[in-house]
Amino acid sequence: MDDDWKPLLSSEQTCESNCQRDSTDCLDSKTKRQVYAHYEPLHIMPRNIVKDDPQEKVSSEASILNSRVHYYGRLTGSSDRLLSPPDHVIPQPEDIYIYSPLGTAFKVKGGEGASKNPSIVTIFAIWNTMMGTSILSIPWGIKQAGFTLGVLILSAMGLLTLYCCYRVLKSPKSIPYIDTSDWEFPDVCKYYFGKFGQLSSLVFSTVSLIGAMVVYWVLMSNFLYNTGKFVYNYEHNISDPEFGTNISVICPYQSHNKTMELGISSNNDTSDALFDFWWSKTNTIPFYLIILLLPLLNFRSASFFARFTFLGTISVMYLIFLVTWKAIQLGFHLEFHWFHSNQFFVAEFRALFPQLTGVLTLAFFIHNCIITLMKNNRHQENNIRDLSVAYLLVGLTYLYVGVLIFAAFPSPPFSKDCIEPNFLDNFPSSDILVFIARACLLFQMTSVYPLLGYLARVQIMGYLFGNHYPSFFHVITLNIFVVAAGVLMARFYPDIGSIIRYSGATCGLALVFIFPALVHMISLKRQGELKWPSALFHSLLILLGIANLLGQFFM
Amino acid sequence: MSSTAMKKKVLLMGKSGSGKTSMRSIIFANYIARDTRRLGATIDVEHSHVRFLGNLVLNLWDCGGQDTFMENYFTSQRDNIFRNVEVLIYVFDVESRELEKDMHYYQSCLEAILQNSPDAKVFCLVHKMDLVQEDQRDLIFKEREEDLRRLSRPLSCTCFRTSIWDETLYKAWSSIVYQLIPNVQQLETNLRNFAQIIEADEVLLFERATFLVISHYQCKEQRDAHRFEKISNIIKQFKLSCSKLAASFQSMEVRNSNFAAFIDVFTSNTYVMVIMSDPSIPSAATLINIRNARKHFEKLERVDGPKHSLHMRMR
Repeated sequence: MDDDWKPLLSSEQTCESNCQRDSTDCLDSKTKRQVYAHYEPLHIMPRNIVKDDPQEKVSSEASILNSRVHYYGRLTGSSDRLLSPPDHVIPQPEDIYIYSPLGTAFKVKGGEGASKNPSIVTIFAIWNTMMGTSILSIPWGIKQAGFTLGVLILSAMGLLTLYCCYRVLKSPKSIPYIDTSDWEFPDVCKYYFGKFGQLSSLVFSTVSLIGAMVVYWVLMSNFLYNTGKFVYNYEHNISDPEFGTNISVICPYQSHNKTMELGISSNNDTSDALFDFWWSKTNTIPFYLIILLLPLLNFRSASFFARFTFLGTISVMYLIFLVTWKAIQLGFHLEFHWFHSNQFFVAEFRALFPQLTGVLTLAFFIHNCIITLMKNNRHQENNIRDLSVAYLLVGLTYLYVGVLIFAAFPSPPFSKDCIEPNFLDNFPSSDILVFIARACLLFQMTSVYPLLGYLARVQIMGYLFGNHYPSFFHVITLNIFVVAAGVLMARFYPDIGSIIRYSGATCGLALVFIFPALVHMISLKRQGELKWPSALFHSLLILLGIANLLGQFFM
Repeated sequence: MSSTAMKKKVLLMGKSGSGKTSMRSIIFANYIARDTRRLGATIDVEHSHVRFLGNLVLNLWDCGGQDTFMENYFTSQRDNIFRNVEVLIYVFDVESRELEKDMHYYQSCLEAILQNSPDAKVFCLVHKMDLVQEDQRDLIFKEREEDLRRLSRPLSCTCFRTSIWDETLYKAWSSIVYQLIPNVQQLETNLRNFAQIIEADEVLLFERATFLVISHYQCKEQRDAHRFEKISNIIKQFKLSCSKLAASFQSMEVRNSNFAAFIDVFTSNTYVMVIMSDPSIPSAATLINIRNARKHFEKLERVDGPKHSLHMRMR
């Protein structure tokens, strides 16, 4: 250590040299605020400070700021940000040089600003993440609530979940004195509610993930079935006997009963029967999927699957195109019956609307990862604007798909009540455009399913064992449970509308309604700024969340 | 009501969150322990038993944040708080959104001061100025200063703009201390004579507890304008280290081929730092000079004792 001093000491520079040496000694990877030598306004060439070059002085501004930072650091705990220099005080990353004790000065590479995304990319990332399979259930949801009420509820839920998302985004900022720059919402819950908060936010977040995975399994079985059927019929040049060739829309559950009766008497082609036996949507396909997907779940890292997220965008784009095409083909069939349903049309205001709110809670759900997504936004001051724009785009997409399918559903021959929770089910397996949609979605889901499994594994294993991959045995046990849940649902209760609304309302209760509102009210109370209108409004939010969940069971 | 026997107070007041605790910690080198992080307004006064300028005790109060506390302060506790006050330092957060409220609290404090300690000196610090854009700082400060001067009548207040991220905080507190040292001009003249006699390059006089520079003499231009604050920071850090070993800092000598610096206790309120650029003068000589000067300066302080200074402060 003493040898290091000699090269640094030069004529009058002892004080400044001391400062620089001390600052490199406390090189902290977390904050480079404690390590800098000078900045641009009073310029120094980076040069070798060991040699006896006539040394230019470090600017006095820089060296006094260095002295302050060093002194203030002694006054607080290391993780305390109370006396940590704010961004506008420390120089730009381009102007920061690090002096090595024995050699040259070099520039700090890049900086956090280098990897930030422009607003467009952030908005797109949010839209992409939020667009899930719940888009397939929106027409059904609108049907359940009634057309007018459905549209109104969609807008209202969008605004409500946007506000709650804004609260989630703001929650780490109002925590005083602690560095919350790498906190996610469960960490905020842990700060306010202790272990209970952390555990419950984790549990509800996992509920949403598992719910999504079960829905995926049901849908994948569905799409695989239809794809297989299409290929089989194409190969054998069979046209669907019960449906004929010109029908573009089907009502699967009405005709299902008829098929049962027909099947016994008319079809005596044994190979067809054999195919139908081995290729059944609920009986066999869910099990075939195990062979494909269970191995994929056991991968240690999911970064391979993360490359396929673009498939989701393509699928949604194609769905939008498909919906537009079908609407043009079928035309609009809308009749407004306000409170009473008739044979073909449903009422505009129906009592089953909680089913729509349940679906929408999951459709607009991004609250468990919004902080992470927004972190890389280049202009942080635009966060709220970008979030609002993203929610607007998502809402418009859902509205477009929902309204068009609902309106275009040919009502004179069929009742609007026929609209399936998965609207692609309303099209026969022989429809080629829909076949492409199903194949695309199948492929996309196969790539997202392991990603969801990885996220669930990280959360559960991380909480229980502290390690993301404790052992192969632990991981395969978890995966078997998750897969079994999916298989059982696909076998016995393949109604994705119900699965989505129950899991949506459950996880939404905690992560969308209760925690954000409570956290906001508590932080206001601690600052002594909680006013009664605000308290009233946020309590109402919590009641709404509870009502949403209860409504799923009673309606 | 003559209270030379009782401890006189320095009140550090301001709204919750205006930066008083950080300021106190920085000026007095107090470690801010984790548990004193408040999640709400301070419920009780924070006493700091620092011997500041000899006999003064620093009291830190939160004003506002919750209106019920204000009522508490200004009715039942009022006389208690505002009696025996030597100095009132009121901190305003320049970014505060509730200017009316801030001024209201400030006026309440002034009323209480007028009733209980009419001789107290009032200083207003407009704090967190680093959050204001550079080109607007002067303007905003001037506005605030005018408002505060107007509101403070008949008392007169001295206003400073401060930020912990530049030299303004140190300079403001140095000015405050300068105004509180009894017969400081005389000290300065004597200091200059002393420096010339011992042929020192520079002589600094620091306040004992905070190492704020009270006065200095330099025989030629020095390049680093921030050297006082740097020295203060260095010594305060050293004091923090010493306190970990339950030791207390008394004196220091730094010497190399180019200069010799001596930091030592001087009078009851002050420390002195002497810098000699002629290394051929032995340490012992300078130390004897400092010791002799000490006796002289102590006499100065004793002669113009507390009574005299009370007279000087009456308007």
